Amino acid sequence: MRGKQQIIPYLFLLPALILLIVFNLLPTIATAVESMFVISLRSGDRVFAGFANYNRIFNDPIFWKSLQVTVVFSLIVNPFQITLALGLAMLINQKLPGIGIFRSIYLLPVAVSLNVTAIVWRLMLDKNTGMINGILFQLGIERQPFLHSTDLALWSIIMIASWIGVPLWSLFILAGLQNIPEPVLEAAKIDGANSWQSFTRITLPLLRRVLAFVLVADTVANFLLFAPILLTTQGGPQLSTNLILYETYRRGFLYGDLGASAAMLSVMLIIVFLIVGLELYVLRGDD
Amino acid sequence: MPDSMNPSPVTRHGKPLRAILQPAIVYCLLIIGVLIVVIPLMWALAASFTPNHKVFEYAYPFSWRALLPVDFTMEAYDNLFARGFGRAISNTFFLAIATVIIGGTVNALAGFAFGRFEFRGKNLLFLLIVMLTFLVPIDLTAIPRYILVNSFGWINTWQGLLVPGLANSLVIFLFRQFFAEIPQELIDAARVDGATWLRVLGSIVLPISKPVLVAAGLLMFISQWNSFFWPLLVAPRQELRVIQVEISLAVGQYGTIWNELLAGSMIAAIVPILLVIPFQRYYVEAITGTGLE
Repeated sequence: MRGKQQIIPYLFLLPALILLIVFNLLPTIATAVESMFVISLRSGDRVFAGFANYNRIFNDPIFWKSLQVTVVFSLIVNPFQITLALGLAMLINQKLPGIGIFRSIYLLPVAVSLNVTAIVWRLMLDKNTGMINGILFQLGIERQPFLHSTDLALWSIIMIASWIGVPLWSLFILAGLQNIPEPVLEAAKIDGANSWQSFTRITLPLLRRVLAFVLVADTVANFLLFAPILLTTQGGPQLSTNLILYETYRRGFLYGDLGASAAMLSVMLIIVFLIVGLELYVLRGDD
Repeated sequence: MPDSMNPSPVTRHGKPLRAILQPAIVYCLLIIGVLIVVIPLMWALAASFTPNHKVFEYAYPFSWRALLPVDFTMEAYDNLFARGFGRAISNTFFLAIATVIIGGTVNALAGFAFGRFEFRGKNLLFLLIVMLTFLVPIDLTAIPRYILVNSFGWINTWQGLLVPGLANSLVIFLFRQFFAEIPQELIDAARVDGATWLRVLGSIVLPISKPVLVAAGLLMFISQWNSFFWPLLVAPRQELRVIQVEISLAVGQYGTIWNELLAGSMIAAIVPILLVIPFQRYYVEAITGTGLE
């Protein structure tokens, strides 16, 4: 009887576990293996190549440029999104009439896909006829080539990603704010703390875990930004928006060089491990 | 004068200025944010109901007419459906509903095992799933998954689109959390009556699990509806294209038929919006629930 009992949870787990092992765990291991092979999408030939793929990408200025763009992008987009998300969460956490309507409206970008967002913004940012330039025109400012200049394109991508990212991450922070017991903030007020003091000394420390989660999740999500690049700049102009996941796609699926692509993905996997590990270490709580 | 004793200025109605000013600033900031959210959507919606040669007419130079379909026409939607866009919509509905039903079953079973049983290796298995979710984003392993699915002969098939995404650790978390909080007495009573565990799950647990079923269903449906990278790789063939792939390929193919591009985008946007708004409490709980544990 006990033996029979023991087997039941495993049976319940089995379908999910098999699927996760086959489609998630194996491909993770295989990424490392695949990076040692040279394979052609067209002919299907697959030849062991040792570290040749790594050698190729490490000696490839396009790969380094892509990594550099990704680092610059990450260093700007993550603090930008999290700061604004924190601000937005504080705003929609106010107990004011009509706040529910605002919360619903801010949910709209979260429901919409990155693809739709990118398509709409691509047209909004068009250098000749886009609405943003139309608004600048009314303000007497000349047209800006938002997606066609090496100075502006990456910023445009940051704005597009943030249109979804800020409201999305604010939901997590809002949930964290709502977990802060009201009496704690009341007590601070009675003790004479002004709003800034109660924000920095009470709210922020109590949000630590949520902010740590958001920082990790946001960093990983932005590290893997793909659709907006494909749909707006395709990595250009002059590779200035050639983020790393787009580069792996370009290599693997546009040029059929799956080996180099897998090598880059392995490097990315290691980078994700390091980022998540480092951020969790730096932000580790007392518990 | 009492004013001299009061540190903050008082308005005519006797409220401290701060009590009026602060909400006013909050509303101003909220409205600025709302404009940033709403204007692109309003323009895109209006432009999708506009003849193609007039799509940018009021966008540059900007006038408020850009946000309303002043030259209303269904032309873009008619052409889009004549081109076979309905196929992409029905494909995506089919895929998303299949994911909810089959994936929901698979994930609920796993969540039940984690939430209600003690068994050897439980923590290790759970850790494995956590690590896979957190450390190995799905897009990063797409190429070996593609090679694997290719070796099954599943490129450009429904199986290739559906099966790899069925098991979803976020959904397993949601079910686990909810099932763990169900009172033990309910389950014991059914067990004493001789019900099998599958029966306990089906006729005792699931009927009182509506919140988590709605939350998990929304999460699975919307993430499948919005999924792009995997369908783009695994099923680019026209008959199997899902909506996100269809509108995205249209950017290259019919890049200058803007009103159709926007009409397709608005159809792709409206379905998740209509699902999220009425069920927003559930949806917000679904996406934030896993992050706060």
